[in-house]
Amino acid sequence: MRLNSLLLSLVPAALASSAFAFDLQAIRVGRAETVSHGVIEHAVVLVEDGRIVAVGPDLPIERGIPVVDRPEWTVMPGLVLPYSRLGLDGRAGADFTPEVSPSPEILPRAEEYEEVLSYGITTLGLYPPGNGVPGQAVAIRPKGETLEEMRIKEGAYLKVYFRADARSKKTVKDAWAKVDEHDEKVAKAKEKWTKDQKGKGAKTEEKKDEAKPDEKKDEKAADAKGADSKAKEFVPPAADPKVKPFLRVRDGKMLPLVSISSAADWAHWLDAIGERKFDFALRVVMQRELDLYEVHDEIVKRKCMLVMEPELSYTTATMRQRNLPAEFANAGNKVVLIPRGEDLASHETWRADVGEMVKNGMKREDALKSMTVHAAALMGLDKDYGTLEKGKVANLLFLNGDPLEPGTKVVAVMLDGAFVHGEVRQ
Amino acid sequence: MVSFAAWTQAHAAYVLAALFALGAGSCAGTRASDVGGAERSQAGTGVVRELAEGEQGFALVVGKLLTVNDNDDVFEPGMLVVRGATIDYVGPVIDLPAGYERFDAPLCFAAPGMIDLHSHVQSSGFGDLNDMVIALNPEYRSSPTVVPGNPSVRRACAGGVTTLFGIPGSGTNNGGFGVLYKTRWDANYEDCVFADPGGMKVAQAYNPERGADLGATRAGMAWNLERANKLALAANRDGRDVFALRNLQKVLARELPLLIHTAGSDACHTTISMWGERYPVRAVLSHGCFDGWRVAPYAARVGMPVNLGPRTFDWRSSMEGQIIGTPQRYEAAGAALISVNTDAPVMPQEELFLQGAMGARLGANSYTMLKACTLNPARSFGLDDRLGSLAPGKHADIVLWRGAPLDPRARVDFVWIEGRLEYDRERDGQRF
Amino acid sequence: MKFSTMLARSARTLAVAALAVPVFAQDPAGGEGQAGGAAGADATKKDEGEWFAVVNGDVYSGTGAVLRGATVLARGGVIRKIGHDLEIPADAKVLDAQGLRIYPGLVALNARGIASRFGGGEFADTFDPYSQNLVLALAAGITTVSDSGVAVKLKRREVKGVVVRERYQSTLSYSSAAPRGKSELDAKFEAAARYLRDYRDWEEQKKTNKDLKEPAARGVDPTIRSILENRSMARFNAANRSDLLGIARLAQKYKFRPIIEGALEGWTVADELGRAGAYAVVVPRARRDKSEELLRDGGSSIENAAILHRSGVQVAIQATSTFIDLGGIAGRDVLHLPIEAGFAVRGGLPEQAAIEGITIVPARILGVEHRIGSIEVGKDCDLILLDGDLLHYQALVQYTVVDGKLVYEKDKELYYAHIRPRPAAQPTDAPEARRDKGEEKPADDDTPTEGGDEKPEGKPAETPEDKPKDGAADEAVDEG
Repeated sequence: MRLNSLLLSLVPAALASSAFAFDLQAIRVGRAETVSHGVIEHAVVLVEDGRIVAVGPDLPIERGIPVVDRPEWTVMPGLVLPYSRLGLDGRAGADFTPEVSPSPEILPRAEEYEEVLSYGITTLGLYPPGNGVPGQAVAIRPKGETLEEMRIKEGAYLKVYFRADARSKKTVKDAWAKVDEHDEKVAKAKEKWTKDQKGKGAKTEEKKDEAKPDEKKDEKAADAKGADSKAKEFVPPAADPKVKPFLRVRDGKMLPLVSISSAADWAHWLDAIGERKFDFALRVVMQRELDLYEVHDEIVKRKCMLVMEPELSYTTATMRQRNLPAEFANAGNKVVLIPRGEDLASHETWRADVGEMVKNGMKREDALKSMTVHAAALMGLDKDYGTLEKGKVANLLFLNGDPLEPGTKVVAVMLDGAFVHGEVRQ
Repeated sequence: MVSFAAWTQAHAAYVLAALFALGAGSCAGTRASDVGGAERSQAGTGVVRELAEGEQGFALVVGKLLTVNDNDDVFEPGMLVVRGATIDYVGPVIDLPAGYERFDAPLCFAAPGMIDLHSHVQSSGFGDLNDMVIALNPEYRSSPTVVPGNPSVRRACAGGVTTLFGIPGSGTNNGGFGVLYKTRWDANYEDCVFADPGGMKVAQAYNPERGADLGATRAGMAWNLERANKLALAANRDGRDVFALRNLQKVLARELPLLIHTAGSDACHTTISMWGERYPVRAVLSHGCFDGWRVAPYAARVGMPVNLGPRTFDWRSSMEGQIIGTPQRYEAAGAALISVNTDAPVMPQEELFLQGAMGARLGANSYTMLKACTLNPARSFGLDDRLGSLAPGKHADIVLWRGAPLDPRARVDFVWIEGRLEYDRERDGQRF
Repeated sequence: MKFSTMLARSARTLAVAALAVPVFAQDPAGGEGQAGGAAGADATKKDEGEWFAVVNGDVYSGTGAVLRGATVLARGGVIRKIGHDLEIPADAKVLDAQGLRIYPGLVALNARGIASRFGGGEFADTFDPYSQNLVLALAAGITTVSDSGVAVKLKRREVKGVVVRERYQSTLSYSSAAPRGKSELDAKFEAAARYLRDYRDWEEQKKTNKDLKEPAARGVDPTIRSILENRSMARFNAANRSDLLGIARLAQKYKFRPIIEGALEGWTVADELGRAGAYAVVVPRARRDKSEELLRDGGSSIENAAILHRSGVQVAIQATSTFIDLGGIAGRDVLHLPIEAGFAVRGGLPEQAAIEGITIVPARILGVEHRIGSIEVGKDCDLILLDGDLLHYQALVQYTVVDGKLVYEKDKELYYAHIRPRPAAQPTDAPEARRDKGEEKPADDDTPTEGGDEKPEGKPAETPEDKPKDGAADEAVDEG
């Protein structure tokens, strides 16, 4: 991973206008939107090996370290767009292909990637299209000669398209029924294995937890027993590739992103998953009228992350405007805002569109998070991306003003510690 | 053929008689109920006369007599005395001279025959509405389309509707002139039509929009109408008689009333400013639906009568989230005269009362809505000297209801039109 | 223990079966109510859940009984008690119905666009518990609809348990316009009836002769068989006198109770339909002129519902439009069921029968009368509370309760809140206290003078409240 990013940072060095020769570099700007720790005036960001090593006000900079000194700039984390089809063709996925990734579809060096990078979008989550469960998203950096250079993470989330109809509900119920089937298979295999062990006369230290199989426990147990017992360790039967993603969902290793379009969809989704307990995020397509306020409290109670466009909507059949993203963000849900459309122009105005939501009642802090750290969290990447903090990947977006104002322009973009866009002189 | 003027002459005798009766002071204390609901007027209006040779007369005694006059007189029980085609007396039960037949209907309400100013069933159905060749047809008349006593008209009679303004459709901006006629059961043209032309029909917008022709837009249509008005006014000023404009000239001279198909706040506003302010004719705003209620204060200020229906509520266009009763909004704004229509056959002609009932359901006063089916349409068209209430001198267009006239449960038992029993539920079978 | 339960169950099945076969030739009002034998079972099953009480209202139970100032107490969505001086559990949710009338929730047959946006079944998966149409239907007093033959409970904010009963009607065609289909259906009925006869004979004879072969069910139409065995109901769409007569005779011959939708000329053959024990789903205002070619009665009649009812036909009332129409024309769509019922009263149908025509009769047609259609102990707590007579054109639903939950409150929803808002609720005395003060109205308070709301009081425009009262039709029509 590290090596990978270093390699990557060498490539753009040739492409970008700035020279790149030093491992450690300092950037001094007028203002830093850290997203995690508020605003820092007169901020210095130290970057080494593609990571942020320090962020703070007026940090002392050792001699010899190259400095980019631009007091008129504002820096913020590179934007993370987790829900996108950029650079992919429009091929629809099948109804139930949870094992599929859109990676094979990706065309490296596609113009769109170069373009959105210049808007400050440094991480993309690409999803496979289609109804039902079309597959898993892949997280990429929008720059690279090959897929491997671009890819950050496969299985970023599981895309689920759900509507209040019999087909959608059946898809979901069947998927979970297969999980149950698998669990049963594992339980049976384990039972058999235990019997076999006893039959061999080996001393069995099996605990009495034969009730339900739990992969985590099994793993822990395996660790505890050490190497000598490994040969005798129980190996659960392999899961069907279509079941595996749901096991990851169940175990909290991957979020499903469930696309819904109404309160009714929500109600039937809950009905379809029944008593199962797992976290999921919601993709809500903003429409002029969206009755999601009907289930506001339930969504808040479940702490669902929401992926929405930065758009206002209306209470059904009225002219009563409402800011649903703000309503959810203010209630404590993580709201991810994405560009209004799939066209590039929408990507360019993305920040300003999110700014509109702030003018209509969304907290500034939530708005900034909606394009950065929350978006990263959807893909399980928030440890490495989305804020200006020590240890995070040095994806930085430099602007000539407030990121949420429509007139503000991108002046430079740093990807994995290297300037990939903008005139940068040291 | 009976022209409007001829008709007026023919009935002048009755009108004069009524005036004489009033002048002679033979009726006292006509005010009924301003002291409260419990107390009823003790005195009636009008005089009962001896029947002359060959004259016919009868009296109705009902449980509740809703006169719908300006005093809102209600008599419980009440008596109506009819001589010939007109009402002679309305009030408490009194003794009758010899020769009068007396009907007792203690379980019935008596109310005036209802009037629909926006109706297309004169030809029995949707036929013969507009000649779609050109946008303005002020020379056209609906009279050739009248089929007297057609099934729609009969059912209307059985529903207590006695007078209709049968008009052209809204396919062209000026559809021509409608006829005023009675819903007689068996009648020839002369028996039922009492005014031809009865008034003009204009369609402001929301239907007469034409394709690529002049009048594709509100602007073009308004210009068309204005131009015709200017031409007719010029002809009036110059004393010229232009065949195609002759009736329009009468409208502009306030000799004939005008019904305007219009809807939505946009077109309604144009309607009021054009026909209420710039060309102060005897105009009635008809439909006024969708979000037309938004101009209710303007209509009230200008004093333009409104004739609402067949849509009596709005929800979709207003986007207020409320089911807005159109009559309620006009009433609240203080509109001068509110009447309702069925636009039959859009709604069945016999369901005129239901338009009133629905207006009341959605917030309007139910008595206002009764007036909206009777006195108000008559007054809107200047017919209230003859129609619209039960009063001496007026046409004996009387409906006996088994219950309150706006209640769908209350059937009509008898209908008299100009003194003739047109519908008798038991005799004719219940038609509605 | 097990054995006795089984016995009890089979006894009940027998009882139901016994009722189902012979009853229909007799008084329809008598036998019907008992079809709800299963109600008790439902009630015991739900012996838990939240308590809910409606107090101080006048309960119009839908069975003809009226209890003034009574309490309806429900638990787990099922009515447990109805009456005065009931003890209400402390944790019960209580709705004060002072000054309101309580009726059973209405049942709208063939309603479209309410149970789901698109219709066509699968309601358990497509029901929108937040839809505007749902709220509007609840505001109109409708708590159950049938769509595509499926009975759907209009729950709000819930999708579980909305399907009360899957379709159990079989639509048949028996029209002289299609003579071939008619004779085919004759043959099917004959075959099915013969088979059932043979089967019964075989059951009888095999007691003595064990080798006797069971009659073959091959070739027997399963739909027709299910109708003859009372497992499903035959539903016809018919308007013409001749078709109606045909259906009546078919039903009499094979002893099943047909559901006839439309029945426009039913009034001309009401006796035959009555003898067939038919259900009719009528639109009182449906209109068709009589054919001039015929001398005999024909065409539509406003008296249709009344005449059918007098002949013993169970009449359900359907609105002119089965959709919700928000385009501006009022009084004709499914939201105006009571208005439509009012037109049946206009034609002479007694008011009680008109109310049954939008409550218990459609419930029977859907096979859900053991749960829905009247306010009775053991039934679902589906109530509507109005500020006046249900059939009065100005009465508006103030509250709607479905399965013991308050799901609609007029003054708190945008749609009708602005129309005649009720004064803010004041603390009310218990019913007995009101009686003590002499405020309780006597049961026969409906004096004739109250008749018309057209009664102008002073200047009518100033009448502060245009509250609906009992229609004059009440008194005026009942003179006999």
